[in-house]
Amino acid sequence: MTVLDGLIYIKENLDPTLSVRYSCRMAICGSCGMRVNGMEVLACNTQIVELEKKVITVEPMKNYPLIKDIVVDMSEFFVKQKNLKTWLIRKDVVEQENPTRQYAQTEEELEKILQFTYCIQCGLCYSACPVVSNLPQFLGPQALMKLYRYLADNRDEGEDRLAAVDKFEGVWRCHFAGSCSTVCPKGVDPALAIQLLRRAALK
Amino acid sequence: MRWSTALQNLKTMLIPGKYGLERWSYTLQRVSGVVVSLYFIAHVLETGSFVGGVTVWAIPDYDFAERAYREAVSFLKNPIFDAGLAVIGLLVVFHTINGVRLVLAHFGLVLGSPRRREILETPASFSNRQRALFWLSISLAIFAMLYTLDALMGVFRP
Amino acid sequence: MRERNVMLLHYATGLAILLFGGIHIWTLFFTYPFQGTIWETTMRFDSMPYAILPVYRNTLLALSLLGLLVSTTIHAFNGLRIILAELIGKRNIWIERGLFAIGAFLVIYGTRTILIAHMLV
Repeated sequence: MTVLDGLIYIKENLDPTLSVRYSCRMAICGSCGMRVNGMEVLACNTQIVELEKKVITVEPMKNYPLIKDIVVDMSEFFVKQKNLKTWLIRKDVVEQENPTRQYAQTEEELEKILQFTYCIQCGLCYSACPVVSNLPQFLGPQALMKLYRYLADNRDEGEDRLAAVDKFEGVWRCHFAGSCSTVCPKGVDPALAIQLLRRAALK
Repeated sequence: MRWSTALQNLKTMLIPGKYGLERWSYTLQRVSGVVVSLYFIAHVLETGSFVGGVTVWAIPDYDFAERAYREAVSFLKNPIFDAGLAVIGLLVVFHTINGVRLVLAHFGLVLGSPRRREILETPASFSNRQRALFWLSISLAIFAMLYTLDALMGVFRP
Repeated sequence: MRERNVMLLHYATGLAILLFGGIHIWTLFFTYPFQGTIWETTMRFDSMPYAILPVYRNTLLALSLLGLLVSTTIHAFNGLRIILAELIGKRNIWIERGLFAIGAFLVIYGTRTILIAHMLV
């Protein structure tokens, strides 16, 4: 029985007013992020026996405004991503809209970014990051990792990607506390992406 | 300034929770940095008093200098300050070696590289090389503290 | 590009402290004339290499101390600026100016100490 099963049981039998987000029940949609016994996890991915405790404390994720019970407002998380233009930018926009062939990418070029494409935007890293807790305007591990994923992508031709994070609240505020990579349920390792981004920015 | 936010932020900085080794490094690097900075300020002022305090701006005459020197030495030469110096030695060496590790990590040098991986393998940024440097910083720091205790107070003299 | 330059300075001064600090510790702990056991030669205030009772009068040593002073001030106060900004949740121009002022005072005061103690004034 997973934590999510437990919450659904509570909702169906004990307290119908409980609000919780969930969807796929298989750790791919990223909706059910929450803190269980003080640690950020996906509720559908966490077996209750694994926790080895009699009493389980479920809390909403940190660093997001709370809406109700375990449901948090993730709009800031997505706005920060959007401001960094984390999508493929090609110089020839017309050609991008009407492609005639695929963009060439070798196996090595793909492996440089593949790991970072696994992000399901669950927001657990943003909740775990100590810098986001202290400095709300910090861009956050997910946005920075996403930016690096496009910076390192050989198909991307966006300009000034680095200038967008070279600010007080940008990549420099990451102190490699590694909490993001510890909690990521998909093994994306945002800490690695941010250090590689820093290396690109320092050149 | 909101004191409640400051207190909450302080707790976030100081309590590493269950997040792993790098979070401990973040906390300890900050704590050691702040403590050593305060020691640095005190040290500049203290060594300033060796030549006679803020009022002295040219080389003073011998008797005044000798008196200032002896005063400063008599204030500083006690076992509590020696033990304090041992703690400072511990923090400085930890901060330095961990700082070197952070410089290397920030240039992406001792980290693993992005590659095809299974989910929930140890993240490449938590590489063994990088963690070994962290443990090196802890061990060298303890060694430095023991050396300082011995050098100043003869704790391990036969 | 400004924050990038500040961070480069932070890394560079950190490594500079490694160099100058090593020299500082070396001269304090390892280059004393033998006086009894090896433990008694270190940190004996009676034989400090620089002071009004000069045993050494060395310009290179003074310069390396000055380098240590400047690098450490920059590194420490930049660190404190970042930690304070994260503590209160945003940047504050008065804290940054205050830290700069204290740092400048320390550098001036420390330079005075170094120059007088090495009899270079």
